[in-house]
Amino acid sequence: MSTWHRWCDRLTGGVTSVFRSRTGRFALAGLVFAAGSATALNVNTQIYNPETRKWEDYSPNTAIRYFRTHGQTPQAFQRRIVSFRTAEKPGTIVIDGDKHFLYFVLPNFQAVRYGIGVGREGFGWAGIVNIGRKQEWPTWTPPAEMVARDPKAAQYANGMPGGPDNPLGPRALYLYEGNRDSIYRIHGTTEPWSIGLNVSSGCIRLNNDDIIDLYERVDIGAKVIVLMQGAALYKGV
Amino acid sequence: MNRLTATFAALGLFVSAEALVPMPQADAAEVVIGVPAWSSANVTAHVLKSLLKSEFDIDAVLEPGTNEEIFAAMDAGTEDIHPEVWLPNHASLNAEYVLRRKSVVMSPKGVPARQGICVTQATKDEHGIGSIKDLTDPAKAKIFDTDGNGKGEVWIGDPEWSSTRVEEIRAKSYGYDRTMELLQAPEEIAVTAIDAAIAGDKPLVFYCYEPHHTFELHDIVFLDEPAYDPRKWTVLMPEDDPGWLEKSDAPVAWPPSFFHINYSSKLAGERPDVSAFLEAVRLDVDTVSEMTYALIVERRDPDEFAAEWISENADRVAAWRDAAKK
Repeated sequence: MSTWHRWCDRLTGGVTSVFRSRTGRFALAGLVFAAGSATALNVNTQIYNPETRKWEDYSPNTAIRYFRTHGQTPQAFQRRIVSFRTAEKPGTIVIDGDKHFLYFVLPNFQAVRYGIGVGREGFGWAGIVNIGRKQEWPTWTPPAEMVARDPKAAQYANGMPGGPDNPLGPRALYLYEGNRDSIYRIHGTTEPWSIGLNVSSGCIRLNNDDIIDLYERVDIGAKVIVLMQGAALYKGV
Repeated sequence: MNRLTATFAALGLFVSAEALVPMPQADAAEVVIGVPAWSSANVTAHVLKSLLKSEFDIDAVLEPGTNEEIFAAMDAGTEDIHPEVWLPNHASLNAEYVLRRKSVVMSPKGVPARQGICVTQATKDEHGIGSIKDLTDPAKAKIFDTDGNGKGEVWIGDPEWSSTRVEEIRAKSYGYDRTMELLQAPEEIAVTAIDAAIAGDKPLVFYCYEPHHTFELHDIVFLDEPAYDPRKWTVLMPEDDPGWLEKSDAPVAWPPSFFHINYSSKLAGERPDVSAFLEAVRLDVDTVSEMTYALIVERRDPDEFAAEWISENADRVAAWRDAAKK
């Protein structure tokens, strides 16, 4: 089975590296990080393990191992209802790129909190956008430079239909600035172990269960407050 | 101290005045309350409107406008009250209309406001960050670093605000412009960053001012600073001098600010009972923060809220009534 390295569906490109796995997706993940680590900062992602009561490095390798053992991402990134005091009205989305959480505001100072994977460089911006549209089993179109370089990508130059190998996963939420597509998306993943990490370029990924859950809750036009400024890697949960 | 021009007044705008204020036809005999475009002024305007009804059976009209528009209208006699004039921010309007033309009267008792740099209570308790000097310590500043470059981040205000220029000066003066990254962004984003920091139990440091609903919503505290000293406060604005930042120095707390109800001399002449009552109104920063909280966070209807506040604070209102008659 071949899978695609995650990247954001951006017209302008961005990270365009693609690795095709011959041995399955976990081998793919190892490859991705061997290439990426040379440029990564020395700050390691850490996560608190309530079983050992210790801060542990949460690298892609530990993430993969955890996922293989438990079949799901660590507890901190499981979808849950949390306390969330805010002046924002219910239905608003708040994205904390630093902590790798997305909050969907509920009434009574609560929110559904989802774990997210974000771009390695972070968005590099903080801002207010809105959900311009949403799509089930969305089509994904590889950026032009990827199409030019990779024959496998070329066959999908006009769009890869929605399905289990589609990088966007089962749902996509399209972020707009006013009426203009910002090119950024919130979508599902074919790499569930990557939630809680910066591995992709720009877009915000949720587990497929979670993106389906969020998709059902969110309205078109919902305000999305993105707090990604300065976020790259983080310590602690 | 040097003037802080205008835009400090634009803080806290989450709900436009137009959205909350009905626009009926103004009758010449009615009392008109000007409503500037920030939330605490809007709520005060509604409370004053309810008070004028309950105390004097006057049906006041609310008219949104800028500070300049409201002062000009009071001077012309077409509006009667401005609920929240800030000093020193609006000093030039005060000088022109209150001191020179004498067409506007400033109620003498102001509500003390405050601005500075805040942290969440958890930041203070868990990381020992209690003083602004802590931000100049690289090890402490690093606590606020989220992008791994060794420097913490601090939001100092909206790029358009005069106060943000002053915060740049203060950062340079204290020295934390070297240990930290000074971020500028709209207030709406900064306020949501506080929400996320509280929810995610992570440290955060940020410019803050009260009255503001965030003080009601979250546990946040001002960092300690040396007291304001006019001899140490040299603040130039970009419009004063292109070398404003290098030439400015202000390693002390902000000077105290106050905001006052202002009313037209015309109203004082025609309704001295009303103007005496306005001079007796005593608000305070906690009350205004609570009121703003009700409007912004709880999304209460302003008229309903004002009526409820008056009935719940009947004793306080009675004291104002008595003071006005003396």
